[in-house]
Amino acid sequence: MATMTDRPKKSVRRRSFSGRDKVTLSFFIGIPTFLHLALVWFPAFATILLSFTYWTGIRIEDIKWAGLDNYENIFFNTPIFWDALRVNVIWLFWFALIATPLGILLAYQIDREIRGHKFYQTAFYLPVVLSLAVIGVIWNFLLRPDGFVNGALGLPISESVSFFGDDRYNIWVILIIASWRHIGYIMLLYLAGLKAVDMALREAASIDGATEWQTFRKVVFPAMKPVNIIVIVITVVESLRAFDLIYIIYGGSGGLPILGVLVFQNIAGEGASMKGAAYAVILFLLSIVPIIAYLRQQFKEDVK
Amino acid sequence: MLNKIAGHQVDRRLLLKGAAAGGLGVAGATMLAGCAPAASGPMSFGARTVDVSPTQQLEALVAAYTAKSGNEVSYNATESNAFQNNLSQYLQGTPDDCFQWMAGFRMQFFAEQGLLEDVSDVWNDIGSQYSDSYKIASTGLDGKQYFVPQSWYPWGLHFRKSMMAEIGMKPEDLYNWDDFMGALAELKGQGLVPLAAADKGGWEAMGTFDILNARLNGYQFHVDLLAGREKWTDDRVKEVFRHWEMLLPYQNTNVLDLEWDGAMQLLLQKQAGFFLMGSWFGGNFKEQSDADYEDLMIIPWPEMNPDHARDTIDAPLDGFCVASNGGNSAVGKDFIKFAGDMEGGVKAMLDTGVPMTSANNGQDTSTYDAFQLAQLAVMDEAKYITQFLDRDTRPDFATPAIGPAFQGWFKDPSSANSMLESLQSQWDALPPL
Repeated sequence: MATMTDRPKKSVRRRSFSGRDKVTLSFFIGIPTFLHLALVWFPAFATILLSFTYWTGIRIEDIKWAGLDNYENIFFNTPIFWDALRVNVIWLFWFALIATPLGILLAYQIDREIRGHKFYQTAFYLPVVLSLAVIGVIWNFLLRPDGFVNGALGLPISESVSFFGDDRYNIWVILIIASWRHIGYIMLLYLAGLKAVDMALREAASIDGATEWQTFRKVVFPAMKPVNIIVIVITVVESLRAFDLIYIIYGGSGGLPILGVLVFQNIAGEGASMKGAAYAVILFLLSIVPIIAYLRQQFKEDVK
Repeated sequence: MLNKIAGHQVDRRLLLKGAAAGGLGVAGATMLAGCAPAASGPMSFGARTVDVSPTQQLEALVAAYTAKSGNEVSYNATESNAFQNNLSQYLQGTPDDCFQWMAGFRMQFFAEQGLLEDVSDVWNDIGSQYSDSYKIASTGLDGKQYFVPQSWYPWGLHFRKSMMAEIGMKPEDLYNWDDFMGALAELKGQGLVPLAAADKGGWEAMGTFDILNARLNGYQFHVDLLAGREKWTDDRVKEVFRHWEMLLPYQNTNVLDLEWDGAMQLLLQKQAGFFLMGSWFGGNFKEQSDADYEDLMIIPWPEMNPDHARDTIDAPLDGFCVASNGGNSAVGKDFIKFAGDMEGGVKAMLDTGVPMTSANNGQDTSTYDAFQLAQLAVMDEAKYITQFLDRDTRPDFATPAIGPAFQGWFKDPSSANSMLESLQSQWDALPPL
């Protein structure tokens, strides 16, 4: 990061704002802030509060205090919660250990301008342009029992390969589909960051006799700290937040349980209960705790 | 015509008392209403389907109403799953004045929350066109009516006449479980999928559970189980799963990868022998071709326990409700009255030629085609009607708990006991209603 040059001490000259300026500023800052509070902070706090109540979501006077009952119900009486948690954790590890590193590798190679880099860039970024819902529709069309792949293999519906239904491999199929998009996303972020790394640093490293891998590990990677933070946060959030893909392929009654669908199942429809809010709070804690831990560690290093 | 008792959890005496009291009160109001001018103004109608055939019927209904009353109706269609998932928000926000919905607990729940308009006065006018069991199914927990029936359909074993003729099998002769298992073995020998099944949507397998439970253990046990008065860990429920496991070798192996339309395709493409489903999918066969539709036939699920014979059937009732928060409830009620009236809406819908088994007494059964007559025969043989598992039990138990439990059982049929224990503990942990 660039270092700040010391400014000679002088009195800070404040620009004086005219009355009109103040009004304009307060509008520009005030309205988005208000919207943000009303649409993000308020519902978030309300969700946390409501997770401690019994409510069907219809009449306010029906809200009843429940204490930790919803959480007890989830942890001890809902076996599908543990299945969903397992799937989300597998998703997280897959993204963290396979998808994201692949994206980084790709970005690094494209930055080095290997042969065909322009093609790879476009090809891998194309899925990112599509929303996860559309990706779900595309792959559903390909892998359904009456879909393209089973048709190409010449299998009738009753003997088709059960890509989405068979537990032995449906999670890996879903992860590959999700990675298809995730890799391109990470690749682009990293590519942007790599362009900002000073070429001089890399040249200095290669003059000192460092191999590619050593250059990457000791020079480029640390220099990309802000991008690293973003990439890690995105990886964690995207894996825990996954919903669109599963919802499109399996509908509201997810055959492959994940926490996002559990939230939806318990909040939408006639069976609405605040168990959904409790799931949402659990999801929130799962996402926020590792991120805060990571950021604290990073900034502690900074201070040192 | 149909002297049945709908699957219900409320004391009938209380209901009849309430209905009588309500009727007296409403009689006075209707006399006044008769003096008032007919409701007028624009209204909106919400359809719970985007499929071709039902849309044709509903659009005919709307057109007929507009022609008769001069009120403009805007037609809003939503895909059925999306509609169901959003109903709660929809009714609290700006719902259509009149919309399609289902009878049973699902309707009573929203009536309890004050989101549905009381249409008991409409029932006073057109109630004579419907049998008592339909009126009971349309009644809320407070004894007033909130629902006007449109059509019903039974759940039964469907097959294609041409296929059965080729193999030389006579499904109409199948009466009990042994006959049925023999037939399945023969179909398997012919290289077909004997019984097409699906459960990707989480609800399809509930039909199989319903019929197996009702056949083995009787209507009363089934209703009590769904209401929580019996336990899922009961030996009788384990019997159900023991029998269900016997059916698994005769089903397609990818049950969890197919939704109902995938299994229907198996029957349509002549790859499967039997298909247990509600008869409403006949419309999809008709869209394919008239020949396919005429090839379709239904028989009731076989008897499994001589004590209960074939006396119970799932026959969900679909119909209309008026939303309290709609723009114009008065016109909504006028519309719903038209929709339930033989001379008005029912005739308009039947005239489209789309097959429909109307709940209305007035539908001339002599105009029924062979498939509809067979459906009627299936209904008539049964003494008791249930609405279907996800309409007869608590919604926060049906979809989130039973759906995944059954899907998990398909993956490991030997885990029936632990699955049932888990279901029971989930029921016990439900918050009080």
